[in-house]
Amino acid sequence: MADLFDRFAPLMAQRDALLGDGGINPFQVKMDELLSPTEAMIDGRRTILAGTNNYLGLTFSPEALKAAHEALEACGTGTTGSRVANGTYGSHKDLENTLAEFFGKEHAMVFSTGFLANLGILSTLMGPEDYILMDADCHASIYDGVRASQAQIIRFRHNDAADLEKRLARLEGKPGNKLIVIEGIYSMLGDKAPIAEIVAVKKKFTNVYLLSDEAHSLGVLGRYGRGLPEEAGVEDDVDFIVGTFSKSVGTVGGFCVSNHPHFDMLRLVCRAYVFTASLPPSVVVSAIANLKLIKQGGALRARLMRNAEHLHRGLSDLGLKLGSDVSSVIAVVAPDPQVAVAFWRGLIEAGVYVNLALPPATPFGYSLLRASLCAAHTEGQIEEIIAVFATVAARLGLIERPAAKRAAG
Amino acid sequence: MSGAPAETVARLIPLLEPFNKTGAHLSAATRFTEDLNFDSLIVMEFVAAVEDAFDISVPLNILPDVATVGQLAAAIEKILGEEKS
Ligand SMILES: Cc1ncc(COP(=O)(O)O)c(C=O)c1O
Repeated sequence: MADLFDRFAPLMAQRDALLGDGGINPFQVKMDELLSPTEAMIDGRRTILAGTNNYLGLTFSPEALKAAHEALEACGTGTTGSRVANGTYGSHKDLENTLAEFFGKEHAMVFSTGFLANLGILSTLMGPEDYILMDADCHASIYDGVRASQAQIIRFRHNDAADLEKRLARLEGKPGNKLIVIEGIYSMLGDKAPIAEIVAVKKKFTNVYLLSDEAHSLGVLGRYGRGLPEEAGVEDDVDFIVGTFSKSVGTVGGFCVSNHPHFDMLRLVCRAYVFTASLPPSVVVSAIANLKLIKQGGALRARLMRNAEHLHRGLSDLGLKLGSDVSSVIAVVAPDPQVAVAFWRGLIEAGVYVNLALPPATPFGYSLLRASLCAAHTEGQIEEIIAVFATVAARLGLIERPAAKRAAG
Repeated sequence: MSGAPAETVARLIPLLEPFNKTGAHLSAATRFTEDLNFDSLIVMEFVAAVEDAFDISVPLNILPDVATVGQLAAAIEKILGEEKS
């Protein structure tokens, strides 16, 4: 008999083959107690968190905690309404002003998540007569947003400005607007977009706009944490910056900033903004407090990069295959999904949490143990992460048995 | 989509060869999913090879309507026609 879920049958079979043997399910990890931004109790074990995208460790910042407590008492647990109805409080406006000032842009719009920001902005800005040129490795929320726009969707090769140029040239003379969509740092491997080259290509054509999703680079790159456009010195050439509060900002929510004179029109027509409830004020003020810390967060960024260099060096010295150069995201490439699952279980059982990422969600069909660094990781924690990787990788036969000193660590 | 352009099909078949892991017979009627077991990653790689060979961009939007080699050939013809215009 036909069943609604028959369409998932191949995936269910794959899932059962991969995870069905009773070990810990990597996609159903439960944090029983948070000990700090970098440690939690999982399965009764003290576990180092090395896969939470909590790049600056701000989830417990005293400034945000204090503001959130006060807002909870003053405004309650939720707004119970959309931004265009009863869901805009003073703090929502304050957050939008903070963002505009932070990025030096005229306009800012806050969404309930980063996913909704991408979905809403992309689906609303572009229409059936337009062209979207997107990096092939973009996030699922970007894919969903561009599909919903009904624009012609053209993918260019990941981080390949020359391929983008070829594709723009093929569209020359066609009516319709063109929007290039990239990410500052790509989430799976942690590699950066060649944004200066992309801007140079953009400038060779007319009617071409650029949107960058700074989800993983906000707070991480640039002297003041404004992401890749700041680091690369091309902020004026990025027409729309999308981002999330769910990573370096340490809470939840999404946003878009822009200098476009009519940007505010989106507040009326963007369905992902209009038809969903706004963020609770406690979340909103947490974001404001942490954005201030991010702006002055040069020392945090320096610690984050030191930690990234430390982990990258340690893992590559072990002989593991890494997905990219030093970055706040460091992904170890496993030979196949089975080995990746065994690797992940070995790590969690030894008290290290990283993300397991499997194809088709990964570039090149890679099976990944994806670590993300935190400014709050100590050198000792990084050493421990490296030692645990060494032990598990050796047990799986992926590297030579590590030197006795390290195995004992 | 009757009468898939034979010349385009003939150009597609050698491009498809490296992706033919099932050893299926390749013709205009070959189906990507059922006969060749294509998944989304292979589709991406194959489409990139086609784009290079024909010097075109294949919009993502058309892929759901392309099930066979013949249908892909027809879609390519259409894109080539539009790019000239
Ligand atoms: C590149 C990218 N964009 C957008 C999002 C969505 O952000 P959010 O968690 O706020 O929905 C994420 C992360 O989930 C992401 O990695």
